[in-house]
Amino acid sequence: MNGLLALPALLLMALVFGWPMLRYSWLSMHASSVLTGLEPVSNQGANWIRLLEDARFWQDAVQTLRFAALSVGLEIVLALAMALLLDQRWRGRGVVRALSLLPWALPTTMMALGWRWIFNTPYGPLEQMAQSAGLSPLNLLSNPDWTWLATVMADVWKTTPFITLLLLAGLQTIPDDLYSAFRLEGGKTRQALTAITLPLLTPYILIGILFRTAQAAGVFDLIQVLTGGGPAGSTESIAQYAYLNAMRFLDFGYSATVMLAGFVLLSLVIFTAAVLLQISGLLRPLKS
Amino acid sequence: MNRSRPLWIALLLIWSLLPMLWQLITSLTSSDALVNADIPFQQRWTLAHYRELLSGDPPFWRYLFNSSLVGGLSTLLTLLLAVPAAYGIARMAPASRRTIRTVVGAAALFPYVLLFLALLELAREFQMGNNLLAIALPYAGLALPLALLLLISAFEGLPNELDDAARLEGLGVVDRLRWVLMPLIAPATASTGILVFLFAWNEYPIALTWLSRDDLLTLPVAMARIAGSSIYAVPYGAYAAATVLGSLPLLVLVLLCQRQIVAGLTNGAVKG
Repeated sequence: MNGLLALPALLLMALVFGWPMLRYSWLSMHASSVLTGLEPVSNQGANWIRLLEDARFWQDAVQTLRFAALSVGLEIVLALAMALLLDQRWRGRGVVRALSLLPWALPTTMMALGWRWIFNTPYGPLEQMAQSAGLSPLNLLSNPDWTWLATVMADVWKTTPFITLLLLAGLQTIPDDLYSAFRLEGGKTRQALTAITLPLLTPYILIGILFRTAQAAGVFDLIQVLTGGGPAGSTESIAQYAYLNAMRFLDFGYSATVMLAGFVLLSLVIFTAAVLLQISGLLRPLKS
Repeated sequence: MNRSRPLWIALLLIWSLLPMLWQLITSLTSSDALVNADIPFQQRWTLAHYRELLSGDPPFWRYLFNSSLVGGLSTLLTLLLAVPAAYGIARMAPASRRTIRTVVGAAALFPYVLLFLALLELAREFQMGNNLLAIALPYAGLALPLALLLLISAFEGLPNELDDAARLEGLGVVDRLRWVLMPLIAPATASTGILVFLFAWNEYPIALTWLSRDDLLTLPVAMARIAGSSIYAVPYGAYAAATVLGSLPLLVLVLLCQRQIVAGLTNGAVKG
C-alpha cells in the first residue's frame, strides 16, 4: 500500500533521471551523427578513445573545475559574512534578508544578460568607471585570461544567498548560552568565532559546499548567455560542450559520451572530497 | 561590529541590489544615451523600451503568461505526485526509507542539465515538443527529489497515532490524507510548492530544447534568445526593460513568501 502510493512519483523520477543514464551508456558506444544519417551504429568504444584525446574536452573539464572551485570558495566566505550579519538582531532584518534573496530567485539567463551589459566594453558601468579613473580598457568579456573571472563574479552574486540561508539556519541552532559561557571564561568576542561558531557550523558549510559544487559543475545557463563559452573557448563548460555536440554538430553519440564523462568526473571529485573529509574527521559532528 | 553594522548592511544591500537597479536605470535610458555619455541629463530618459516590448510580436506579456502557466502546472503536478508518495515513504520500514532517501538525495544533487539530450529524445518520440502542458512532465520529474525530501521530513514529523486513529474511524487513505494529514503539513507543502514554482519559472536547458515556437517560449528562453540574436548589438535597453518586467512577479513572490522559501531551502538541504 505504502509502496503503491510512492510508485507514480518514483517511476517518473526513474524515467527522468535513470533512463538518460542508461540511454547515454548505450549511445556512447555508438556513432550517431550526420555521418551515420543520425542512425546509431556500434563503434566499439571509439567515442571514448576520441574523448581521451580531445583537448577541448579536457580544457573544458579544467575550466569547469576551476570555475566551480573559485565560485564555491568565494561564496562560502561571503555567505559566512552575510549570515553572521543577518543572525544578529536589528530592525528591518527581515526585509533585508528578503531583498538579499532576490538574486537567487531571478532566472539565471535574465541576470546573465544584465551582467553582460555591466561588463560591456566600452559602454558598461565598470568600463566607464575604469575610464574615468584613467585605466586602460578592461575588456572583461574579450580577454581569454580574465573572462572566466567575470563568470565567477556573476555566479557568486547569484548563488551566495542560497548558502547564506543555509549558514543562517546553522547559526540559529547554536545556543546563545555557549557564547555567554565563553565570555564568562574570559574569551574575547573575536575568539568565539573560531572557538564556537566555525566548529559548530562546519556541517552546514560542508552541505553548502556539496550542493553548490554539484550545481556549479553543471553550469550551463550562465555561461551560455554571458559569454557563449568565449572568448576563444576559454569559459566553455562540460555541459555546454555536450550541448554543442548534440545541438550544433548533431553528434549524439559523442555528446552522450561527454555527458557521461562529466558525470564520472563530478562523482570522482565528490567522492575524493568525501574521503578526504572522512580522514580529516570534519564530518564527525554531522553524525552525532 | 555594532557600530559598523549600518555600513555592513549597506554593503550587503548594494551588492545584492545594485546590478538590478542598473537594469532599471538602463531600461529607462534612451538607446542613444546608452552609448553616448555626452547627452545631457534631461534628454536621457524614455519609456520607449517598455512600449516596444509590450507591442512586440509576440507581446512580452505572452512570455509571462507562458512561464506562469508552466510554473503553475508543474507545481500542481509535482505536489499531486509527491504528497501521496512522501506519505507512503514516511510509513515504510526504516531500512527501505533510508535507501529511498539516499537515492532521492543523490538525484537532488544531480546536475540535471546533463539529462537534456535523453529528455529531448523522449519529447520527439512522443511528440511533446512545443507543448506547454507536456513540459510540466519533465519539470515535475526534475523537481520531485527536492519535493520528496521536504515532504517526507514533514510526514515523519507527524505522530503515527494520529494516522492510526483516523484509520480506526474508518477513513480511507485518500480521506486521511485530505482531511487529517494535509492540513498539518500545509506549511511544508507551501514551501515545496513555491520552490517548485521558482524552479519551473527559471528553468532553461529543457525549455530551450523542448520549445522553439516564438509564441510558446518561456521567459528564460525568450531572454536568452534576445542575447543570441546578435553578439555585437544586443538591444540592452529593451532587454533591461524585459528584465524589470520579468522580475516584478518574482519580486512580489519573494517578498510575500520569503518565510516559506527560507524554510524550504534550509530544510531541503539540511534534512536531505
